[in-house]
Amino acid sequence: MEQLIEQLKSQIIEALNFEDMTPADIDTDAPLFGEGLGLDSIDALELIMLMDREYGIKLADPKQGKTIFQSVRTMAEYIQAHRSK
Amino acid sequence: MITPTSVVLDGQPITVTQTGDKMLVELYRRFVGDYPKFFKMDTLCRLGFVAAEMLLKDHTTNDERSSDWTIIMANRSASIKNDTDYLATISEGHYYPSPALFVYTLPNIVTGEIAIRHHIQGETSFYVLDKPEQLEPIIRSTLHPQPSTLLAGWCECRTTNDFYAKLQLIWNN
Amino acid sequence: MVFCIGHSIISPLGEGSKANFAAVQAGRSGLKRYDHRFADVEPICASLFDQPQAFVPMCIRSVELATAGGACPLDSHDTIFILSTTKGDNLDLWTPAVGVASYFANPNPPIVVSNACTSGVCAQITAQRLLESGMYKHAVVVGCDLQSRFIVSGFQAFKALSPEPCLPFSEERQGLNLGEAAATVVYSIEQPTTNDQQGQDWTWSLESGAIHNDATHISAPSRTGDGAFLCLRDVMQGVQHDAIRLIGVHGTATLYNDDMERAAIHRAGLDSVPMCVLKPFFGHTMGAAGILETILCVMQAQQDKTENEQQVHVIKMLSGFGGVNAAIRLRV
Repeated sequence: MEQLIEQLKSQIIEALNFEDMTPADIDTDAPLFGEGLGLDSIDALELIMLMDREYGIKLADPKQGKTIFQSVRTMAEYIQAHRSK
Repeated sequence: MITPTSVVLDGQPITVTQTGDKMLVELYRRFVGDYPKFFKMDTLCRLGFVAAEMLLKDHTTNDERSSDWTIIMANRSASIKNDTDYLATISEGHYYPSPALFVYTLPNIVTGEIAIRHHIQGETSFYVLDKPEQLEPIIRSTLHPQPSTLLAGWCECRTTNDFYAKLQLIWNN
Repeated sequence: MVFCIGHSIISPLGEGSKANFAAVQAGRSGLKRYDHRFADVEPICASLFDQPQAFVPMCIRSVELATAGGACPLDSHDTIFILSTTKGDNLDLWTPAVGVASYFANPNPPIVVSNACTSGVCAQITAQRLLESGMYKHAVVVGCDLQSRFIVSGFQAFKALSPEPCLPFSEERQGLNLGEAAATVVYSIEQPTTNDQQGQDWTWSLESGAIHNDATHISAPSRTGDGAFLCLRDVMQGVQHDAIRLIGVHGTATLYNDDMERAAIHRAGLDSVPMCVLKPFFGHTMGAAGILETILCVMQAQQDKTENEQQVHVIKMLSGFGGVNAAIRLRV
């Protein structure tokens, strides 16, 4: 799980263009939206695409994103449970 | 005026150490520095954004006047560079359309980015023309009814190393 | 102000403004389900031509229909061609504009308006400004977009599409449907003195236009409808609220757009004005939308107008990516 979390942090940084950030800068349990990384609606859609592209997970209902993307940890847990790649 | 290798502001050349897209990042760090959204922008937007920032850095807008400003930009190639980048995400056998890239497949987004940064709720318009000279009659016709301030110019980008921007700030008294 | 001396619509519902107006009145919609129209793309509900169309010939045909009355000298230095489009002909916006203008032997370099989905309204505003400045006497404003894998995939990535026919302003709305069309409106600085051959009064005047950016987000509208409200405020200057016969809204049926428009209309004090919603018939025709929907809203108002009514106005409003909003007021 820890390996997945680290990998996910790197993927998030790349997918969302966080130029000046390293995985160490991202708190695993901090909120991704609102405070924390302060992601917006386009970022949420990119994360949905990231899950499909990297882990083969297709999210039928984008509203599920609210719970899945609460933090890096909740996202990693969802991926662990549903990945097909 | 910005090219991949040179920058001129109010007639004075600005020294840069990088070229192309890296030069735009250098300009961002020097003239902006506090706007991480810059790194989500495509090259066309980065170009227009830093060019506008360099012009506007001494002129802050306040709320009463922001809806009175106008931003008009134009180019020949629309958003072709980012269109090509987006196409790569929907290639045959590797179909993962990127929403972050798709949103930049419209050239007028650069005017939106500038408007957001400076809280300008005035007009933003984008035209596709053959040459920068064609913009002049459009600008002239827009000056009635007068916006109080007009940021206008050419913002062309074909690749990360092939771009050109020339912006002017016109105070309309 | 400038005066309309011709217009046309070509859509999956038919060729000609009258044919399209009749189709809408009869309740016919161009929306259908397409399972495999574009490779890799999930099934969509859209309004598409039976056969894929070519961009430049479609624009040319649209201009021919709009100028059949002969009132506009297409090859004159006094006439400017303006193309409204978001993705042009396979991502090239400039070359097709030249293709259309040169087909009619027009000597001026054309102008392409690419202001996202507001382009059709912005192109009309550009026309008005150029004519009122004295630079030209006539403007041929053509709007066209054809759907493609490029566009559809992007909107799907944005989860903005409804798999069913769209339901603007409904609690059950799920998103928009895409569409394709070409529409043209011809404006003149000179008021026409005669009616067309069918004895029908085509004339309307474009009186006012405004464009405002929300300055909040590049793909989502301001929740309080800031830019849209400022546009409505501007075009309402000098006009009584009860002179507005109807508002042609954008009405894409996405979660945020419809709420935003309602907010803007409310702030402008125009809640009691009937809304004209056309996306359920044509889908979102992007660069053509602002022109196609203007034509049909005006035709609706003209049909309802009685002979002795003087001040009958229509507002057409649109919003688009990049935070841009635009509105025009027309007098019918």
